[in-house]
Amino acid sequence: MAEETFDIPACLERVRRRDQAAARELVEHLYPLVIRIARSHLPRRVAEEDLAQEIFLKMFTRLDQYKGEVAFSHWVSRIAVTTCIDQLRAQKRRPEFRWADLSEQEAEVLDSVLTSDGEVAANDALASRELVYKLLGQLKADDRLVLQLLDLEQRSVAEISELTGWNQSLVKVRAFRARGKLKKLFEELERKERS
Amino acid sequence: MNDFESKWQRLVVAARQAPAADEVAAPYGFATRVAARAMSERPPALLAFGRFALRALCIACLLTLASGAANYLAFAGSTDDEQALIDPVSEVFTSAS
Repeated sequence: MAEETFDIPACLERVRRRDQAAARELVEHLYPLVIRIARSHLPRRVAEEDLAQEIFLKMFTRLDQYKGEVAFSHWVSRIAVTTCIDQLRAQKRRPEFRWADLSEQEAEVLDSVLTSDGEVAANDALASRELVYKLLGQLKADDRLVLQLLDLEQRSVAEISELTGWNQSLVKVRAFRARGKLKKLFEELERKERS
Repeated sequence: MNDFESKWQRLVVAARQAPAADEVAAPYGFATRVAARAMSERPPALLAFGRFALRALCIACLLTLASGAANYLAFAGSTDDEQALIDPVSEVFTSAS
């Protein structure tokens, strides 16, 4: 994001004076960042645009709390992540993971991961990503988020702690528990695959 | 955990190779709509005042209920006390006659 070409402090000052044009410019500037976070943590049956809108409205409501101690984009990222967690937590029911619901390519990738030790073929990357999202979708919101940030986005524990507001020990404990649950899911899938 | 860890890591390594979705600009009208909604909402100071007023109303209701309950006990006990009261004027008249 070209933060250096966009004068954030000046824009924020105008927004605080209730300047609608400045608010629009700010939304346009931050949209790629917000939509990327919304897409990667999108709950089922929630439109990414609706989630992005909710994130922006929260951002405007809390603007007076921004003291400039961190980069504005970082502050907005944190709002985006916490909004996504709230949305994911609100989704109590998680769909059951069934082999039959996987696409042919996803089923092949899962089968290859479960039965062989070889690397997944590079042209199966998209199917692998979909599969990872489906597997993570079986976990609770916090577990899903921590594994997604840690393993898929390769964020450090410190970064996750900053983004979520959880302390570093909590991040590690949640990651450990989430891996345990995912392991059980893998074992169950292996049993189903054999039968 | 190692067997699972190796399987999971192979899967996420492959997943990370998937191309990221293009960072698109906001859809037409999105920024205008969001900015208009945000600017039309009441400023945070007013919202804070609203929350404060609501809290004050709740406390006032609780105080009313508490004082009602306390006074009810006093009223409930007062009927016996009234019967026990002696009217000094009628006492004087009775003794004089």
